[in-house]
Parts: sequence; structure tokens; C-alpha cells
Amino acid sequence: MVLQTCGVVLAGAADTVAVRRWDKRVNWKYDGWERLKPKNVKVQYAGGMGFLSFGAGWEYGRRNQWNSDFFVGFLPKRYSDKLHFTFTVKQTYTPWSIRVCDWLSYEPLTCGLYFTAINGEDFWQREPGKYPNRYYNFSSKVRTSIFLGQSLTFYPDRYEWLRGIGVFYEIGTNELYIVSKATNRTVSMRDILRFSFGVKMQIFKPH
Amino acid sequence: MNVALGKSGISWLAALSLLSAGCDMIEYHPYDLDINGKTDVNKENIAEIETVLDGRDGISFAVISDTQRWYDETEDAVASINARGDIDFVLHTGDLSDFGAKLEFELQRDILEKLTVPYVCLLGNHDCVATGKQVFNRVFGDDNFVFKAGNVQFVCVNTNALEFDYSEAVPDLSFLGGAIENSPDDVDKTVVAMHAGPYSEQFNNNIADVFEFYLRRLPGLQFCVYGHGHQLAADDFFDDGVIYYQCPCVKKRVYLHFTIDENGYEYEAVDF
Repeated sequence: MVLQTCGVVLAGAADTVAVRRWDKRVNWKYDGWERLKPKNVKVQYAGGMGFLSFGAGWEYGRRNQWNSDFFVGFLPKRYSDKLHFTFTVKQTYTPWSIRVCDWLSYEPLTCGLYFTAINGEDFWQREPGKYPNRYYNFSSKVRTSIFLGQSLTFYPDRYEWLRGIGVFYEIGTNELYIVSKATNRTVSMRDILRFSFGVKMQIFKPH
Repeated sequence: MNVALGKSGISWLAALSLLSAGCDMIEYHPYDLDINGKTDVNKENIAEIETVLDGRDGISFAVISDTQRWYDETEDAVASINARGDIDFVLHTGDLSDFGAKLEFELQRDILEKLTVPYVCLLGNHDCVATGKQVFNRVFGDDNFVFKAGNVQFVCVNTNALEFDYSEAVPDLSFLGGAIENSPDDVDKTVVAMHAGPYSEQFNNNIADVFEFYLRRLPGLQFCVYGHGHQLAADDFFDDGVIYYQCPCVKKRVYLHFTIDENGYEYEAVDF
């Protein structure tokens, strides 16, 4: 009964979405346990999340403006002392999608934040007990990053399970760099900003 | 629609051109070891110091310390030292980074590279956080090292014992023993440099007096210089006449200037 009521409310809400001729995003809702199924998978390069990160994303909002991801990435020995893995939770907001033609849309702005943890004994979330209280007073294990980006989404007709393929870039920084820049006029934006690139595949088209 | 496409095309091109302009704007992780720019700085600068000052009986050097996340002040210190023209080299007694992040070592190195004289950096405790020590070792050099400036030998020793959990000897007495045994014949004076001084919370205070026993066996020990405490201080910790000079953090806008000649040594704390 409760579920049914919710369904009615959601359907009612969906009806109130203003029609935008140029924004054709549709939130394909799942029912029941299928709501747990990710709606997209991603590969992201750099961005402080490792060399490459592989993620699953869940889209929500009337036009899929909101997306939450979970990534597992790796930092190979080539770029570090040994192989490290990273774990990222990421939230992205994409207010607009401009449908250029049947098979292409352009998202002029994406923005969001993510938290990245890295494995390895050199990194701690809380300072080890050997240190006097608040000795370093930060976590070397978890970084908080913010970003702005853009994307292009292609809509292939060919595969039912593949609703769209997006390519995106982001420019971002993390809290340690922000505090370094904020306290020093000689630290430039270029010193602290970092590019990242990725591919997103929107999957599981409903039958 | 065409406008939108045009804009997107321009943004993508802009992004790609910025990318090609410098790979330093691509970063896999703040704690990775993918270092941009110069590495092995100490080795190259020590070679220059040893060559230029070879045969000299008097030297003049500046000490800066604890420059972590004080980039503006470090720039000013470099400009102030460059303006003098009477300094042979600069000694940095550690804590170039605040968080141990690779970027911090790169930025600090790039500022110190503006010095018109060679510089040598020691490992600080903040430099050991996360992968910081490995970045330090690659960008600057070893934890423990000795170099010669004219007739004065500089023994630079890692004293950040709290960071090493007894997994390494800190301070390394066998290194100090080696420095005593292998002092070159043309050296008749020694200065010892470290990051954390005796009786600080970083130091292995159980062997503080053993450490001092070793230092006193170095030929012609003049004084010790260290950082970490962020305040100007001069102490005779062991009541044996060996003065330990604590260089303030660069935030205090002070550096130390030492001259050593046949009459002994002099020092001044210089505001900038």
C-alpha cells in the first residue's frame, strides 16, 4: 500500500517536469530490487583517483541530473612505490543536457565532489597513537576533491542494453591544494588544478 | 544548436591544448611518485659547493627551515638571500612539505631553484608523512649525508625518530661513526645539521647523550643547527659548550647566517 502511494506520488511528480525541447534525458526507473542495479559504468583517467578507475553509477532526479558513483582505481608501481588501490565515492550534478541531434547531446556543465581513499600502510585516516594529539591533524588516506566538467553523450541505436556513451573531462583540485593556494599568493591556479578524462556507458535499457 | 556544438568544440579543444601544454596538470594521485622536474638536487648542489669552495678557509652560509606551506615567505627568503651576494650556499633543515604531498616538494624545489647559490635540504618529520619520504629521497636525496664546504665538513643527520618506529636507526650512530672515521684530512671543522633537536618529541631522547658523545668526536665540532621548533633558540643542551641553534620557521621571516673562518664562527639572525 505504502509502495503504491509512493508510486503515485512519483508518477505525479514526473508529470510536473517542465518540457524542455532541448533536454531529452529520461530517468528510466526500476522497480523493486532492480533499483540497486547501476545505470551506468565508467572508466576515468587520472583526477587523483589512480591511473585508471572503474566505476558504477546510479542516476536519479527527474532528468537524471544527479549521479552517484563508486569507483575502484589503481596506481601502478610505475608511478608509485608499489601497486596501490583507490576507492572513490563521487557525486555529480549535471543540470543541463542539450540535444544537438538524434544521436548526440552536449552537457555544458558538470560539477561535484568526491572522496578518494588509498590503501597502504603509509596512509592513515586517524593519526597513529604514537603521535601527540593532533600532531599532523589531517588524514593522509582520504582526499576530498571538487571539480567542474563537460561531456558529450552519443546515443547509439544499435544495442538495446546501451542507452548512451558519454565522454567527459573534469578539472578539479583537492582540499590540501586549496588550502595551499588560499594561504599563498604565489601558488597559482595552474599549480593546483588537475585534468581528468573519462568514458561513461549508460546501460540496462529497460525492456 | 550549432552554437552549442561550436561551444563544445571550443571547450574540448581548449582542454586538450591545456593538456598538451603540460603533463603536470594530469595527476594520478597526490601521493604518487610521478615527479615533475629536477631530481637528485642535493647531489648536484653538493658537487658544486665542494668544487667552488675547495681550498677555502672561510665560508658563509644561510640556514632556512620549516618552509612547509609558506611559499610566499620562502620566495621572500630566497629573494633576500640572493640580494646579499656574500652567501656561499643555503642549508634547509627540513620540513619542506606540510602533508608529505608530492606537489609540495616540487613547489618548494622550484622556489629554492631561484637561489643564485647552491642549496642542500634535510629531511623533516612532515616530509615523512605518507609517501613524502620517498618523494624527498628522489627530489633531494638521502636521509643522512656528509658534504664538505672548504675546510668545514657538514654532517647532516636524520633525527626524526618518531616517524620510523625503530624500523630504522634514527639517529643512525653507525653513520655518525663513519663520518668520524672517514673525515677527510683537509677538514678541520665540523658543523652538524638536523631537523629535530635533542629533547624534542621527535628525537630518540633515550640516546641523546650517546648522540652528543658521537658528535663531540667529529673533528673540530663548531656547533649544531636544527629546525622543527619554529622559534629562534640557542641552547647548550648537554652543558658541554656545544651550542645548538634552532632556526625559526620561514613564517617568522628570519633566516640564520653563519660565517666560519680561522678565528672561529659568528652568526646572526636576519629578518627579511
